[in-house]
Amino acid sequence: MPTCRLKWFWILALVTVVGCGTSEIETQTARPSAGSEPSEKPRVALIMKSLANEFFSTMAAGAESHQKEHAGDYELIVNGIKDERDLSRQVALVEEMVAAGVDAIVIAPADSKALVPALRRAKDAGVVVVNIDNRLDTEVLQQEEVAIPFVGPDNKAGAKKVGAHLATTLQKGDKVAVLEGIRTSFNGTQRRLGFEEAMAEAGIEIVDSQSAEWEMSIANTIAAAMLSEHPEIKAILAANDSMALGAIAAVKASDRADNVQIVGFDNITAVQQAIRDRAILATADQHWDQLAVFGIEAALKLLADPNATAEDVETPVDLITAESLGE
Amino acid sequence: MKKLPIPRPLLQSAALLGVLLLLVAVFGVASRNFLQAKTFTTIANQIPDLTCVAVGMTLVLIIGGIDLSVGAVLAVSSAVLGVLMFDYKWSLEAATLFCLLTGALCGLFNGTVSVGMRIPAFIVTLGMMEIARGTAKLLMDSQIKFIGKPVEPISKPLAGLGISPAFLIAIATVIVAQFVLTRTVFGRYCVAIGSNAEAVRMSGIRVAPYSISVFVISGFLAGVAGLIHTSRLSSADPNAAVGLELPAIAACVIGGTSLMGGRGNVVNSFLGVLIIRVLQTGLAHLGTNDAMKQVITGAVIVAAVVFDALRQRWDDSSE
Repeated sequence: MPTCRLKWFWILALVTVVGCGTSEIETQTARPSAGSEPSEKPRVALIMKSLANEFFSTMAAGAESHQKEHAGDYELIVNGIKDERDLSRQVALVEEMVAAGVDAIVIAPADSKALVPALRRAKDAGVVVVNIDNRLDTEVLQQEEVAIPFVGPDNKAGAKKVGAHLATTLQKGDKVAVLEGIRTSFNGTQRRLGFEEAMAEAGIEIVDSQSAEWEMSIANTIAAAMLSEHPEIKAILAANDSMALGAIAAVKASDRADNVQIVGFDNITAVQQAIRDRAILATADQHWDQLAVFGIEAALKLLADPNATAEDVETPVDLITAESLGE
Repeated sequence: MKKLPIPRPLLQSAALLGVLLLLVAVFGVASRNFLQAKTFTTIANQIPDLTCVAVGMTLVLIIGGIDLSVGAVLAVSSAVLGVLMFDYKWSLEAATLFCLLTGALCGLFNGTVSVGMRIPAFIVTLGMMEIARGTAKLLMDSQIKFIGKPVEPISKPLAGLGISPAFLIAIATVIVAQFVLTRTVFGRYCVAIGSNAEAVRMSGIRVAPYSISVFVISGFLAGVAGLIHTSRLSSADPNAAVGLELPAIAACVIGGTSLMGGRGNVVNSFLGVLIIRVLQTGLAHLGTNDAMKQVITGAVIVAAVVFDALRQRWDDSSE
């Protein structure tokens, strides 16, 4: 019966598709001695953006190793979304974690505004909420009448540091271009503002500034166009390292490697090599393997002392150059 | 029935070239430094990966299939290349072999499952898209690997010429594929399968080997694109080419390939790639904000297809 068989294939295909759908949640649970005793330890849910992104997977790995060292203090549930822009999935994750009865949520929101209502509901349900990585919008927080502490680095100050270091190699009146991150992201805006401030202080002109959506190959296309449209460019400031790598390729392709400087942000492994090769001048390290840990520590503190007020915590950002890498 | 004096694909090529020249003229007037040789060599060196993928996609669309996995297959091939060259210090040549093999194997999987089991290619390649993307991330631990000089020769502009070997590979791919499609039995069968697979079967030809081969070709070309992509950026990136299937399909459709199968032309798909990339580069020259870029790109794709549909209707009525 061929039609019957075909039907089975359709069912199989559907199961596969549904399977794809559910696999979008990348769940890693680190639960010490699961089930052996009903534990009194607080349960902390870490909700990340895409765990496929090196940045967030390293943050999650840092949190997991911290949990292993402090296995007696708390339990950790790590969740991420597949696509960094999948807001609805992240909102659903917050709701699921509240339903799962966690004591605290530490979240890197995929959007600085859209997540606020879900987090307010979590707080109303008695869950401690700490914001890491991408700062929630102050106005929306006020509107929703909720206070959520932000634990993380000052991206603007970090970008300014990188920009100021670049400025020492340039002269007043020189022209540069900026590769921005996704325009709606808070970090992207902060880094752009940091770059702009540093350039303004050094009297360097930004002649072109476009978003390359954090992506290497988009940055490559845009940087190549910038270099041919503005041949006078002396440097490209990229709001993250992936885009800086894309810019290197563009500079090389246009034979300008000797007279165009590139700076990035994040200090990913791939870029350290490029810095040693002098293909990139500098980047900023915000100690991202520890960013989630800082957030978890803040959440644990709030859980231990119910009277503590939720205050923002600023974590360090360091300038990375060939010298600081020890070469 | 009056016969057209000029063959239809040629007429279409001329129309696409017209659109392309129009875009170049508009950007030339609107921006300060668009009209210079370097802009065009830059574009030439940036299109090879999309071109290879679009050639494969054209063939798949012609047999009435679709391949949504091309971007992910590009990434997994690139991941294999990256791991072998970065972690195991293999030579470019040896690593390339396995990079291309990875692509071809992914294509073989797509072909055997969708053709052999008669499951729509849409579903199978959608599954492959997830499998390949996930494998790329697993292989590379979700990290970008900066390979540097060893991988660059393929995309390094040739001295004096300004264009890269990658571009020449892409052009050769277009020419060979166009030849195979129009001048060989294999190509004729592909078109016939896309027009009416049942009729082909009735005339005693086994359809499956041809259809599966086309998916293998598409996978293999995605592997070639992976090699070129890695070389151009000096790095292997597990998140490379996310969503590449969309510009590839758009290029084919702009070039007049039918999504229903049975009609398509590789050279015109290549012109479609050029239109998409000239648009992208031109808008970057102007510094258009990214939301506006999206709107304009979308509008041009729709306009090109509408134009093609109108021209075809006019052709049909004049016949």
